Amino acid sequence: MEVFVDDKPVEISEGATVLEAARIADSYVPTLCFDDRLEQFGACRVCMVGIEGGRAPVAACTTPCTEGMRIRTTDETARRVASNTVELVLSELPAAPADHTELAAVARFFKLGEPRWQGEQHPPDEDGRHPYLVLQHELCISCGRCVRACDEVQGAFALTATGRGFRANITAGLDSGFEESTCVTCGACADTCPTDAITEHLLLDLAASSATTNGEVER
Amino acid sequence: MTDRFEQTTTTTCGYCGVGCRLEAHRADGHVVSISPAMDGPANKGHTCLKGRFAHQFARSRDRLTAPLVRESGGFRLASWDEAVAKIADNLGRIKSEHGPDAIAGLASSRATNEDCYVMQRLIRAAVGTHNIDNCSRVCHSPTSFALRKSFGLSGATGSFDDIEQAQVALLIGVNPTQGHPVVGARIKQAALRGLKLITADPRRIELADYGELHMGNRPGTNAALMQGLAHVVIRDELVDRDFIDSRTEGYEAVEELAGTYTPEAVEGITGVPATDIEAAAHMYAEADRACILWGLGVTEHLYGSEVVQLICNLALMTANVGRPGAALLPLRGQNNVQGSSDMGALPDTFTDYRPVTDDAITSAFEERWGVEMKRERGMKIPEMFDAAVAGDLKAMYIFGEDVAQTDPDTAHVQKALESLDFLVCQDIFETETSKYADVVLPASSFLEKTGTFTNAERRLQLVSAAAEPPGSAKTDFEILTMVSAALGYEMGYETPSDVMDEIAEMTPRYAGQSHERIGRGGLQWPVAADGTDSPILYTDHFELPGGKARFAALPYKEPGDAADDDFPLILVTGRRLEHYNAGTMTRRTGNLELLPFDTLEVHPEDAASLGISDGDTVTVRSRRGEIALPVRLTERIERGHVFTAFHFPEVRTNLLVGSSADVNTSCPEYKVIAVSVEPEASAAPLAREPEREREPLIDAL
Repeated sequence: MEVFVDDKPVEISEGATVLEAARIADSYVPTLCFDDRLEQFGACRVCMVGIEGGRAPVAACTTPCTEGMRIRTTDETARRVASNTVELVLSELPAAPADHTELAAVARFFKLGEPRWQGEQHPPDEDGRHPYLVLQHELCISCGRCVRACDEVQGAFALTATGRGFRANITAGLDSGFEESTCVTCGACADTCPTDAITEHLLLDLAASSATTNGEVER
Repeated sequence: MTDRFEQTTTTTCGYCGVGCRLEAHRADGHVVSISPAMDGPANKGHTCLKGRFAHQFARSRDRLTAPLVRESGGFRLASWDEAVAKIADNLGRIKSEHGPDAIAGLASSRATNEDCYVMQRLIRAAVGTHNIDNCSRVCHSPTSFALRKSFGLSGATGSFDDIEQAQVALLIGVNPTQGHPVVGARIKQAALRGLKLITADPRRIELADYGELHMGNRPGTNAALMQGLAHVVIRDELVDRDFIDSRTEGYEAVEELAGTYTPEAVEGITGVPATDIEAAAHMYAEADRACILWGLGVTEHLYGSEVVQLICNLALMTANVGRPGAALLPLRGQNNVQGSSDMGALPDTFTDYRPVTDDAITSAFEERWGVEMKRERGMKIPEMFDAAVAGDLKAMYIFGEDVAQTDPDTAHVQKALESLDFLVCQDIFETETSKYADVVLPASSFLEKTGTFTNAERRLQLVSAAAEPPGSAKTDFEILTMVSAALGYEMGYETPSDVMDEIAEMTPRYAGQSHERIGRGGLQWPVAADGTDSPILYTDHFELPGGKARFAALPYKEPGDAADDDFPLILVTGRRLEHYNAGTMTRRTGNLELLPFDTLEVHPEDAASLGISDGDTVTVRSRRGEIALPVRLTERIERGHVFTAFHFPEVRTNLLVGSSADVNTSCPEYKVIAVSVEPEASAAPLAREPEREREPLIDAL
């Protein structure tokens, strides 16, 4: 099957998604809830692209290609929708996401600075009971990647999505923490998390120590 | 600056035989984090709590950082020159006084292929004896033996990818979600997507909950169970006649023998209901594509190698070999247990299992190495200990192995080590074994060296140094070549890559192997000279004379140990998710917090009749010795059986294990030990929870 990504023809297999076509064409489409290891999900609306002749932008990660489809990864409406979505997500966080995270990379892609909207922000809520894993609930953006990685890659079913709206978050076990849950410490959740809402003690220690070091250099 | 790390190195995990590809991230000169390589063929962007998190052992304060030499009852620090000279002097003296066969070496299944090849060359060429073995002796040597007998080559017939392509998978004596977590996760995911699992184990393993059928056969009865399955397959005409006629030999004898193993008779031996045996046989044989996976629950028995041959029989009669989705996959225990034996770190074979008794092969190595060698095999590990106790073996060079903790009949091993005139240990930590050493050499962990590991799929994968060895510790490659030179034998390698080139040159089946070709994707041997590798073996012929596979007609025989009035329970030993073998590495990481001490798993009904409760400390006695540890009640074990692991030196599980071992390969019978369990009178638990707070690990060095 042939489709066109930003006017470039690409050959794709039956059932391929718009995102897969864009990747083959080497056209960058930002993603946030997407992970190659997981089933497609389509929650974050960051991978929006335009389709010529289509009524509205579509999520690239869940939209299957059709023969001859003409995909516009730089569609203005799609970019605006995605950018606003990311900006809204950022506005709920108590601080800008760490530079290395996927969320920060997406924010850089959309050239987003301080969010324009000042709404309620998640208060810091850290759970460091596990010897390796740390939950920083305030950084959770409910992309569902950790829950899906736990289910679809490991099969431990230790993580659950909880709450609604602004209170949406994730929990290990029934809020008992990783150690009392069915967690097997495979770390797939921390590995896939795009915001460091789940990360490692050692990496937080590293960030803290390099912050101190940099501070001393500046002084 | 979006990268937190100063360097990221792609390497291969040094824990189990799955062979996960890892990204090791470095900051301040140390590995601070590990994440999975997205393109790892075995792990596909996943890893487990060992590979991902248990890396801080490499930065542990008690790493060996300088050579140690024995002096007046203790050890003192020494220079490399002094330590190596001492080794050369003593090995030279013993060789001239008693001959080279008074010396033996052990290579390590945790070390690289290149390290193991250099080690066997050191022992064979520099010392001059075939007394070289490795720790696969005590785990999968029966698998190697049987696969060579039945099919021709010593390795899995396919790849882990076959699991996702199979319709049915039969798991025998293996607990992948604990012992091989990433493959365990792949099996579980496949089961959730429709793969039918049949499990056979004295414990109800986690994957049994995701399977179609679980058979809780009694320990030591695998052969009867396999015969029962074969009986039903033959009786109900589920065999593939064309395949049997065109590709195999010896079926008639198997057919005849299987006749006596009716499901009812097998139920009597194994305790598995006859109807389950029938159902399992139909499920396996009626599938178009079926895999069999097994582990040490098959091999570590008196007749372990014969059970593997019976497994091969079942695959052959149903043509479930040599096709995608129809593979025999032994799950190998250590990261390089496949490779250490492939490399010829065995007393009877050079690389690719070619025997030292073959004059042409030994001559080729003599010419390449410029030495003369015997045409008789050397000693296996248990024979080495016997010879040491008898006074015939005077010196050992033990590299990366803690035999005093992991080998059976601990008291006998200790006596052997005490009896030696001279012992060299090369390791990353002091161990139970190094307590007996005269010289201890500080070596490097997998994060600090370069070379290759071969995983359970026969896949060679690159190991790349992500950090420097601590202090004056050296890589094993540097140490072994240096010791060889001190013995007056220069090997002439500059890098481990040169070693791989020699392996390829000397071994037709490995002809196309090189570090460059292995690259990121790895190579599954055999590797042709043009670099073509072999994900699936035996697609059109078997590697035996005539190209045909061999059925083996082997009757069930009783295990070496049996319960009686004095020792009424059967102890099975095994591995736990959080720890790895002797625990040398994992006990020095946060994994110890996740599992701080070991327990004896007991069925609640057995516990009630013994008068013990959950958490009680009990004494476990066998015919060989006794240990004490706390009890954990679980219904996952069958009544009449108890289970524990061997990860904690303070528990010393292997004191209980006797000298019973596989009839063909001397692999110890770790899986069937008759014991008694009693409440301990003075409740002083040996294995206690350590008082430990999480330190900020970045500041630890």
